[in-house]
Amino acid sequence: MRRDLEEPVYMQIARQIRGWIASGRLGPGSLLPPVRTVASDLGVNLNTVARAYRSLEEEGFLLIRDRSGAEVAPPATEAAAGDARDLKGELRELLLRMRQAGISPEELQRLVSGEIGSLVRRAEARGRSRGEEEDA
Amino acid sequence: MSTRMIVGFSLFQTLAVGLLLLILPRIGRRGLLFGVYVGEEVSGGEEARGIRRAWYGGMFGVLVLSLLLGIGVETGVPWVPAGSASTLILVAGFYLLYLRAYRQARRLAAVAPPPVSAAPFDVGPQPTPLLPLIGLLTGLAGGLVAVGYAWSHYTLLPATVPIHFDFSGTPDGWAARSFAAVMLLPVMTLFMGAGIGALAFFVAHAKRAIRHPDDGSSARAQARFHAAMSRYLATIGILLTGMLAFGSISSIDVALGRATRLHPGFGVLAALLVTYVIGGIIYIGLRHGQGGARLERAVSAAPLTDGLADNRRWWLGMFYFNREDPAILVEHRFGLGYTLNLGNWKAVAFLVILLLGSLGFALLAAWSARG
Repeated sequence: MRRDLEEPVYMQIARQIRGWIASGRLGPGSLLPPVRTVASDLGVNLNTVARAYRSLEEEGFLLIRDRSGAEVAPPATEAAAGDARDLKGELRELLLRMRQAGISPEELQRLVSGEIGSLVRRAEARGRSRGEEEDA
Repeated sequence: MSTRMIVGFSLFQTLAVGLLLLILPRIGRRGLLFGVYVGEEVSGGEEARGIRRAWYGGMFGVLVLSLLLGIGVETGVPWVPAGSASTLILVAGFYLLYLRAYRQARRLAAVAPPPVSAAPFDVGPQPTPLLPLIGLLTGLAGGLVAVGYAWSHYTLLPATVPIHFDFSGTPDGWAARSFAAVMLLPVMTLFMGAGIGALAFFVAHAKRAIRHPDDGSSARAQARFHAAMSRYLATIGILLTGMLAFGSISSIDVALGRATRLHPGFGVLAALLVTYVIGGIIYIGLRHGQGGARLERAVSAAPLTDGLADNRRWWLGMFYFNREDPAILVEHRFGLGYTLNLGNWKAVAFLVILLLGSLGFALLAAWSARG
């Protein structure tokens, strides 16, 4: 976390955790440290970390257990109609901004395909490692 | 003979503590230099080495001087004021040398934007060790037994009661029976036993100093250091409770005429306690280093983050102040152990209670000695 950035601290924390979940470093069911521990490590107010956890809970990344911490939520098997519509809207807006920033449609397609491929590979790797654990 | 033994033991204590203070820079964190964050590279540089060399020379001189003073006490040199002179010289010399080294290290302090702060999310919650809980409960139970025993025998006590004992456990100081004279040791047992037990519990959850990026190595080293310190303090709390409770009950028995001296178990526990305190801290220092510094050597080139690394949060490298930080206990920047976050009202309240408690005991002791 950088204090000299314009991005609010709670958003920096949420972005980092989101990135770790997306990269598979934090798998479904992983326990996150309690709010107090994280706030103490970072030297920030308790409410800042609690706000980051809450926003991740609202986005479906975390399940807040109780005061002892939070757990990484498993990805939903089927998107709710309302959520899917909202997310599609966000994706469209992001793609428009990227296009406006000068990224060509071909490059956009390549980026999106690459990200989807990487998500699928991570999901397969997680499935394999879970299977090995069950065999063991 | 007993005086010789006390002085000999006191000299051994001075030597052990002095040697530990002497080697503090060797067991410290890379990046920190006498309470100042100078960066990992500078802390290994020639200027930093020069400051450390001056420390070793000065501290060695202070240690020799304090030992000579201690020997002066034993041989009866008339101008030596008291047996505690060697300890006073050692402590005063330590702080003077530290402040000199701190001032020199300030010139090397990193002038950079605020350091990043990091928290390991992929190591899960820290487990709560069991021993601190046992230490806290033992402190409370031992203290209550001592208070209860003194309370229940108060009316049976004679007009004068022993308040001081010599090295063999025989009373050598008496005072008129009063609440202060009788209850001082039992209340101290309760206060200190439970207090150290609680401290051990808090230490297990003290603020961590994280390096980033390091794949969680520094967090794991910290967790091991916290667990070791927590076990160390909890064991001290248990031994201290046992010793004080033993002494408290035994002194009531002496006052009642059931015994002529303190039970030998008191002396055995006292010797065990002192040996454990000195041996334990030397072991932790050599095995773990400051905050686990010796366990994280592989990643010690990764920069320290916030907390310990932010010079703006520290005064004289000893006092930490951060209103935002919910941490109560923060690792020392120089030396083993922890300090309080003076920006947190809970830490300030704890400090005030500690000071008022110490003052209360001092007044109680003075009152009890009046008779």
